[in-house]
Amino acid sequence: MLRQFVIVSVLNFRNLRHRFWESLVIVIGMACVSGVLLSMLSMTEGLLDAFHRNVDPRTIIAVGRGTQWENASSIPRDQARIVMSAPGIAKAPDGQPIADANLIAYVPARLKTNSGDNPIPLRTFGPKGAMLRPNFHIVAGRMFRPGAHELIAGVLAGSRFAGMGLGDKVILPDGEWPIVGIFETGDLLDGQLVGDTASVMPTLRHKAFNTVLARLQSPADFATFHRAITTNPLLTVDVMPLADWNAKASGQFVAFSRIIVYGAGAILAIGALFGCFNTMYAAVESRGREIATLRALGYSGLPIAASVMLEAAALAVAGALIGAGIAWLLYDGVQSGWGENAFLLVVSPAMAGIGVLWAMVVAVLGGLMPSIQAARWSVADALRAR
Amino acid sequence: MRFLPLVWAALRRKPIRSILTFLSVTAAFTLFGLVIGLSDSMKIMEERAHPDRIWTLPRFDMNGMPIAMAKQIGRFPGVKGVTVTSYFNGYVGDPKNRAFVAFLDDEYGRIFPDWGPTIEQWDVVRHNRTAIIMSRKMATLFHKKAGGSFTIIAPNFPRADGSNVWTFKVAGIGEEITQNIGGYIIGNYTYFDESLPLAKRSRMDEVDLQATDPAIVDALAARIDRTFANSGNPTRSLPEKVVYAVGNNWGGVDVNAVTRDIALVGLLMILYLTSSVLAKSVRERRSEFATLKSFGFTDRAVIGLVAAEAALPCLLGAVTGVVVAGILARQMPSFMPPDAPIPTPTVSTSVLFWALACAAIVALGSAILPSLRLTRMDIATALSERG
Repeated sequence: MLRQFVIVSVLNFRNLRHRFWESLVIVIGMACVSGVLLSMLSMTEGLLDAFHRNVDPRTIIAVGRGTQWENASSIPRDQARIVMSAPGIAKAPDGQPIADANLIAYVPARLKTNSGDNPIPLRTFGPKGAMLRPNFHIVAGRMFRPGAHELIAGVLAGSRFAGMGLGDKVILPDGEWPIVGIFETGDLLDGQLVGDTASVMPTLRHKAFNTVLARLQSPADFATFHRAITTNPLLTVDVMPLADWNAKASGQFVAFSRIIVYGAGAILAIGALFGCFNTMYAAVESRGREIATLRALGYSGLPIAASVMLEAAALAVAGALIGAGIAWLLYDGVQSGWGENAFLLVVSPAMAGIGVLWAMVVAVLGGLMPSIQAARWSVADALRAR
Repeated sequence: MRFLPLVWAALRRKPIRSILTFLSVTAAFTLFGLVIGLSDSMKIMEERAHPDRIWTLPRFDMNGMPIAMAKQIGRFPGVKGVTVTSYFNGYVGDPKNRAFVAFLDDEYGRIFPDWGPTIEQWDVVRHNRTAIIMSRKMATLFHKKAGGSFTIIAPNFPRADGSNVWTFKVAGIGEEITQNIGGYIIGNYTYFDESLPLAKRSRMDEVDLQATDPAIVDALAARIDRTFANSGNPTRSLPEKVVYAVGNNWGGVDVNAVTRDIALVGLLMILYLTSSVLAKSVRERRSEFATLKSFGFTDRAVIGLVAAEAALPCLLGAVTGVVVAGILARQMPSFMPPDAPIPTPTVSTSVLFWALACAAIVALGSAILPSLRLTRMDIATALSERG
């Protein structure tokens, strides 16, 4: 049986060049499906990647109780102090806890692409702010000096917005703040401005912090830390691992964008499916005599049917890989943005795998009926077919 | 028209093939209808923006502004009216069921008559302190009917009495508007303000104004921002037209380009598919076309026949696809998350028109090669082929 399958399949692929242009329908169809799917998905995956990259499992975040967004969260100074000295938080070499109470604000800015009006997030670091971002490093200029009216900008901020490069000045309520350095972290922070908490806070006239970040000694210390926070009646904060908060923060975009991406992909895939159906029917039809001859020689229906499926699958997978390749060439690593978030689009091998999986499903569904027809054809009918 | 039976017979020759082609085309145009409809919705939002309105918000943060600023802005020359809004968020039952209410003052209905609720509904909110109007989408989401009560727990908004439970009466269900994607719940600003602790009263999150003349809107917006630039509450004023400019949505993602590209890829896919199917069908019937030509059919008539054979499934598929897109678009709010930041596609006759135009181009495109071959074929050879 297996030998028959191999022989018939080899025969099929040898004959493929005679059906080249028709077979291209499946390849092109699947290339379109996988290209559109992965190009759109590159945005979802890029944003997710930026949210989740560099997140240390030991890092936790404290936000005002019940808040859903960082900028709606509020932690008064006295509460921030209690959170930062809670048990379980790791100590820096200077003996201070690795914890940082910070602010997030938005500064009006102009996009370089279409000079659209879009806010850029301004985040602040206290003394331990940089330490909590393991990949943070200055790539040009220098770090802001504590207490000075200076900012630093992420690498993507400078390329996304006008006037956010080294030496540019950002208007804040009490004057112009020069950008004295450019930093890179590889995550969402790259699209933002960073300043010193102690100098930005009075400028923006904030009385409370937005969030507190801290690094625990180990992820296992979360239970101790959590208990200390939740049993303290003075505190009105929620604490959670930063990874959980990021999943929550990106959840809305991811949920709706996946519906759109997979919905659009599915509609196109249905179109490709009918195309695959059509091509495989034509293929079976044009090979009627060949199939009949094989049957007459004693080949059973199953290897013939399987070989038809294999052909459909091979063509579809080839198409999916071409589509994935095009999406990768066009979009992988390209800078993009959604709302206030700047990030790089991602087309990864795992995503190409999604394209291949879709191709297999289309091939199986599209090749099924024609292959059954091929297997069921009586020898006499098939010989007569033209 | 006379040759329609010929075209029909050609399509019926291999019915499965014709049906599959039609279904492929339908799928491609369903996607076409949805994405072009989405792009149209964004355009509609831009067009419906009033050129005489300005939205003023805090420049740097979300901590609100004193209401006195609204009065000051109202006295600027060229300002016809101002209205203030406070935003309120909380949850219903479980923290994951987030609810937002915009508390609006008495002027809002006058300045924003196009934003959903009817004049009568505005009046109910103005005269009943705890009344709210929900948009249809919100009412469905929270399973509310007019006359019901609606309780929100708002940890960020404790009332003067210390409780954070806010109970409202659903006074009416408002119509959805394209400009407000997520639906709306609106309430009475005065009630909200007076329910807050004394220290938190007399504040607002947004002040919107109507100018006497659309021509002065840009200057007026700049003037407001200049006035408050060095105050404790710097502002950011944007003409409504700017807020809704297509380029300003989605943080620089070019929606028109994205939707156009997706539609194009779909068209490319069916272009190859229909040309391949048509080429095969014509190849199989060379002798038939040779017969027609020997009857005296001109090249033009033969090309017309081939083009019609391509056009029929394409045009039918385009119409069906756009209809399916319309049905899907109507169902979309029920399977999208309520806070999804994109509008429902507007699948209008203009979408249908574009779909038909594109279908015609696809049909013509796929007919070019087969008909060229037919015009060049040698009738005698073709006739001698087995038919």
